[in-house]
This record gives sequence, C-alpha cells and structure tokens, in this order.
Amino acid sequence: MDFVSELALGRYEKIGEIIGKCVEKVEKPKTFSDLIDTVVTDKYVGIPIFLTFMWAVFQFAYSVSAPFSDAIDVFFSACSDWARSSIANPQLASLVGDGIFGGWGFVLVFLPPIAFVFVALAILEDTGYLPRAAFVMDRALTKVGLQGKSFIPMLLGFGCNLPAIMATRTIEDDVDRRITIMVNPLMSCSARLPVYVLFAGVFFEKVAGAVITSMYMLGIVLAAVMATLFRKFIFGGKSSPLLMELPPYATPAPKSVLMSARNRTLIFLKKAATILFIGALIMWFLTTYPWDATNGGELIENSYASAIGHAVEPLIRPFGLDWTAGVALVGGFLAKEIVVGTLGMIYGVGEEEVADVIPEHFTPASALALMIITLIYLPCLATLGILRQELGSWKWTAFVIAYELVLAFIVAWIAYGIAVGLGVS
Amino acid sequence: MRRLHELKPGTKAIVSDIEGNSALRKKLLGMGLTKGAKLKIVRNAPLKDPMEIEVRGYNLSLRKAEAENVIVEVKEE
Amino acid sequence: MIKVALAGNPNVGKSVIFNALTGARQKVGNWPGVTVEKKEGICEHKGKKMLIVDLPGIYSLSAVSIDEKIARDFLLNEKPDVVVSIVDASNIERNLYLTLQLIEMEANVVVALNKMDLAKSKGYRIDVRKLSAELGIPVVPMVAIRGEGIEELKNTIIYASRAPRKPVIRYSDGIERYIELLRSKVVENSILPKYPPRFVAIKLLELDEEILSKAGIGEEVIKEWISSVS
Repeated sequence: MDFVSELALGRYEKIGEIIGKCVEKVEKPKTFSDLIDTVVTDKYVGIPIFLTFMWAVFQFAYSVSAPFSDAIDVFFSACSDWARSSIANPQLASLVGDGIFGGWGFVLVFLPPIAFVFVALAILEDTGYLPRAAFVMDRALTKVGLQGKSFIPMLLGFGCNLPAIMATRTIEDDVDRRITIMVNPLMSCSARLPVYVLFAGVFFEKVAGAVITSMYMLGIVLAAVMATLFRKFIFGGKSSPLLMELPPYATPAPKSVLMSARNRTLIFLKKAATILFIGALIMWFLTTYPWDATNGGELIENSYASAIGHAVEPLIRPFGLDWTAGVALVGGFLAKEIVVGTLGMIYGVGEEEVADVIPEHFTPASALALMIITLIYLPCLATLGILRQELGSWKWTAFVIAYELVLAFIVAWIAYGIAVGLGVS
Repeated sequence: MRRLHELKPGTKAIVSDIEGNSALRKKLLGMGLTKGAKLKIVRNAPLKDPMEIEVRGYNLSLRKAEAENVIVEVKEE
Repeated sequence: MIKVALAGNPNVGKSVIFNALTGARQKVGNWPGVTVEKKEGICEHKGKKMLIVDLPGIYSLSAVSIDEKIARDFLLNEKPDVVVSIVDASNIERNLYLTLQLIEMEANVVVALNKMDLAKSKGYRIDVRKLSAELGIPVVPMVAIRGEGIEELKNTIIYASRAPRKPVIRYSDGIERYIELLRSKVVENSILPKYPPRFVAIKLLELDEEILSKAGIGEEVIKEWISSVS
C-alpha cells in the first residue's frame, strides 16, 4: 500500500468534507485577471508584449531616478570643490575633497536607480507578474541551464548586477539560484556601456552600433554556455521541478511596495555602500600618492595606481594593451563606471577628450580585447559584496572571480587573434 | 488512461495516479494532484511548455516532463 | 514572551500580516547556515509581548525542500506557543493541506483566514464559525491588506496561548487503522519521545526520510509492521 499518496489523499478527502460543510460556491465569472493572462501568454504576441513591458518598467525606473542622481552628483561635486578651495593643507584638502566627498558622491549616485529598481521589482512581485514571466520564459531558459524564474534577475543584470543578484531570492531551489547568481555578472550592466560606446565609437565608427550590440549578445551567449556547463559539471545535471502557482493578478499595495523597496535598499546601503566607499577611498589613495610624484593628484602617471597598472601590463600585453589600460581595468574592479574616467585621469584630459587620445594607446583589435575583458573579467566590488552574501561563502565567490578571469582572457585572446588575423590591426 | 502532458487546453480530467520519484510525487500530491482530483487544462506557454492547469480552485503551472508523471482519466475534451 | 510562528503557502499575505503585527519592530537576517531570509519581530498587545517569527512560505511540511526543512525544524525544535496558519480564503482547499499537517504536529494552531475579499469576488461564501468548529481551532477572518482582522488576530493569539487547543483530526478508517498501529509501535518502542506520537506515526507511514533517519529505523521495518496488520 502506498501511504504517501494515501495520506495525501486522506488529508484532501478530509478537507473536501470540511469544505463541503462550510463553503458555498457561486459560479465564477471570467475575471479581469483571466483576460490579462489570455493576452499576456498568447502564442504570438505573448513574448513580444512581455519583453516590451519589462523594458518599459525598467526604463521607467532608470529615467525617474536620473534627476535624483544628477542632483546628488552636483551636490557632492560642489562639496568637493568647496573642500579643495577652503582647506589650507593640500593633502587634507585632497582627502576631504576628492577622497571623502568624492567617495560619498560616487556611492550615493547609485542609490536612486537602485532604489527605483527595487520599487519596480516590488511592483512586479506584488502584481503577480513574476510567475507569468517565469511561465513564459521557462522553456527557453531550461534549455540553457537556467529556469523560468531566472528571467527577471538576468534581465535586471542589464541595468545593474547588484539588484539583479538580490532578486534571485525569488528562486526557491538552491542549485537554480546559485547558477543564476554565478552567471549573472555576464549580463552586461549599464556601467560597462560607456566603455563600449567610447571604443566602438573611435575604432568601429560605421558599425559601432553593431559592435556594441554584439557585446551584449556575447554576454548572453556566454551566460547560456556557462550556465549549461555549471549545471552539468558542478551540480551533476540536477534540476528541480517548476510546480509554480499562478496567483490571480492583484493591484499592488503602495505600503507593501515601499516597505519591500526600503528593506532591500537598506541592505544595499549596509553591504555594498560601505564597501564602495572604502574602495573609492583606496582608489583615491592609489591615484594621489606618492604625493610628490603626482603633484598632489594632478598627474597620476607616477602614482601607486600606475605602478599597479605597470604590474598588470604583462598580463594584457598579448592583447596589445598597455599599462594605461591596466590602470583602467583595476579601476573597473572598483566600479565599471570609472573606467573611462580613469583613462581620462591617466592621459590628463577631460572625459570628452579621451576619444582623441585613445588611438595613441589602442588599435581596433586591442580595443576589442579591452571591451571583451571589461564585459567578462570581474564583477565590480559592490556586486562582489552581494555575491559573497548570496552565495554564502568565499569559496564560491573566489570561484566566480576565477572563472570570469579565465574566461575573459580566453575570449579576449580568441577575439584579438581573429581581429589581427583579419588585418583589423 | 492518458497522461497529463498530452492533454490539450480546455480538457477536463480526473487524476488517477502519480508516478515518478518520491520527491516529485510528494510535491505533486501536496499541491493537490491526488487521486480523484478534478483538473482542467488552461493553456500552454507560448513556447509550448510549461502548461497551466486549474486544480483545487487555483492555477498551477508545471513542465510537461513533470506532468508526464500524472496519469489521468479524461472526462471532457 | 509568547513565541508565535507564522506559517502559510507563498502568496497568502504572510508579509502583510507580519508587518501589520510587528510594524517597525522587526529584524531581518538569515536562517542559520542558509541564504533564506528570516524575519522576526515584536508585537505588544494588551500588555502582552509576542515574538513573531515569519517562516518561509511552504506548501507542505514534507521537508523535501530547504524552506520546508527550515519551517519544520523550527516548529519541532523551538516549539512555539502559537502557530498562526495563514490561509488564503480564495484558495482554501490547497491551503488547508498545510493546516492539517500543522494540526498533525500537535502545534497550537490558529487559522488566519486572509483575503476574504478575494474569496468573495471569486464567488465563495465561507461560514467561518462552522469552519472553526470542524477544525477544532480558532479561525480569524481577515483582509490583512486593508488592516481588517489584525486586532482580532492579536486577541486570538493571546487567547490561544492561554487556552491551547490540540484537536485530533481523524482521516478515513482505512488510514486510521495504520496510523493507530504505528502510533502504538512508536509508544511501545519509545521512538522519538520528544515528538507527538501521532505525528511520528504519520511521518513513518509516509516514509519521511528525516524522521526515519532520526529514529534510526529503516523503511523495511515500517513495511514489515504494516504488513503484519493486513
């Protein structure tokens, strides 16, 4: 006798008995919820509608947050300038102006977009849309080692990998969640875009758009490949069943949405913001010292940062990259946003003029290599912090760093080789 | 006797038995797919898989590979 | 302090109820050793202090998934004074499955029957008093998102902590025979005396991996006992 099913049956029989005595059902009319579903999961328009909707939601989050970010940027720049002009001791002025205010400004500029993404995410969760997203995308994603619920986190990664990885909490199965987290950094976040725009614009003018798009595609393809490999070789091909409830759509309650967004934003502030601030201070120190050598931070060519760049150079010389790229990449570890700015600092020009100086240090082939390395090589420090938290151990985090570095070099090497071979040099 | 994954949207059926490994069985049973449970196929996802069914008053989505383990008796197609 | 656990399926409004009970006095962390969120909070009502622990959303206590293991371990080891089984009234059949399992565990259960508005719009009419009588435990109708029923829930939790009810819900005669058989074996052999015997018996009958290994009994022993009755 199979008691597992007998007991389940026994319980449901009892429930049926109880409900028969206590619950009356009047015929249910076709609800609004059903209507939405009919459209949203339709064979032909389901996926396009769905993708458009997702794009709109996150686009909204980023646009609405932009004015706040700009305001914060302006405020802290002003503080920075004030510090530099009012503090007598030049080193202290630099510390307070560039280091502390600069650091604060740098970190807090991230706060608005991340907070709004969390709001958008909470709305999606509370409306009941997430299970639909998973339902629609499940088949495509299971083919590449992921599953339906990975979709939103992976999509979020195009904006910023930090909230994306936090969003993986909706994936119940540990293996599924782990794989999603481990490949998430390969989704090219918005901070990497300026690097592509700069280099593709300078070296691939006519086809810049195509090159940039292929960076994103490359990230997606690599994520699919790595997820498949991880599932097969690290997790023994194990997969968990979907068995997901599709609750009726509901209007999100503002209080609930705000509370959820608030809690997650606080986690960001506690974990990532402190790491970022410390990282920014370190970056300030590396680019400003030795004090005499750098004229107090004016020329960073003789700074500790450039020393690191020179140390890194041998690793990237095979791709035609020099120590300036090395410094930029080290900066990119702190945050991908500052790669372009760091190059500006090294070349001693403003961000707008970097494009003019670039051809002296790069070729189309090496530019391609740099873009690819930027895409793959490391998650930024803040993302790393959240990775460590969500993966639960340094061991796994170290593995992610290791595989990304190796993958970055392999793919960059292949791309560089092909580019040189095609005479793109 | 048919299997759940073969059924088309609109079909009404009754659960006959659940096969498969114990972990999946326990989950399916816990979600209400016990012997005698009435269900209705609502739709398939745009990519044909997973499928959505109505059972015990709620909507459940499951992959066809999982649905394959559910043996049903069709009442209405 | 009254220790209260909130249990229920995902999507039943557990967070809303948790927030309504604890307000700003909550603490978020992780369950030990895993990356599953643990929320705890304090609720003070009529001079009584309650520690509210939000268990992960689960469909059953079969302990197959991490969420289920966490919930089950907490209930068995921490033995909360009251367990609030949050039931989605618009989905009552499947939701009561967990409630029955909590009753099997001889937890001191109070049902929070949430989303009454949604149930009504779906065409359901629920006789709450009858439901409470049938289950043998208090049932509090609620629309948590509108704040309806929260005060009554707080009162009921306090009341239940003073006057616990541990009804026995009997299933069909066929099954009860075997439950009773195993229950006497459990008592006879002092199997896992810290847990309620009926609960252990049911879990052994289900060949629950965790209980079998904790008791140090193999599946074959159970199967032997069962066939000895037939």
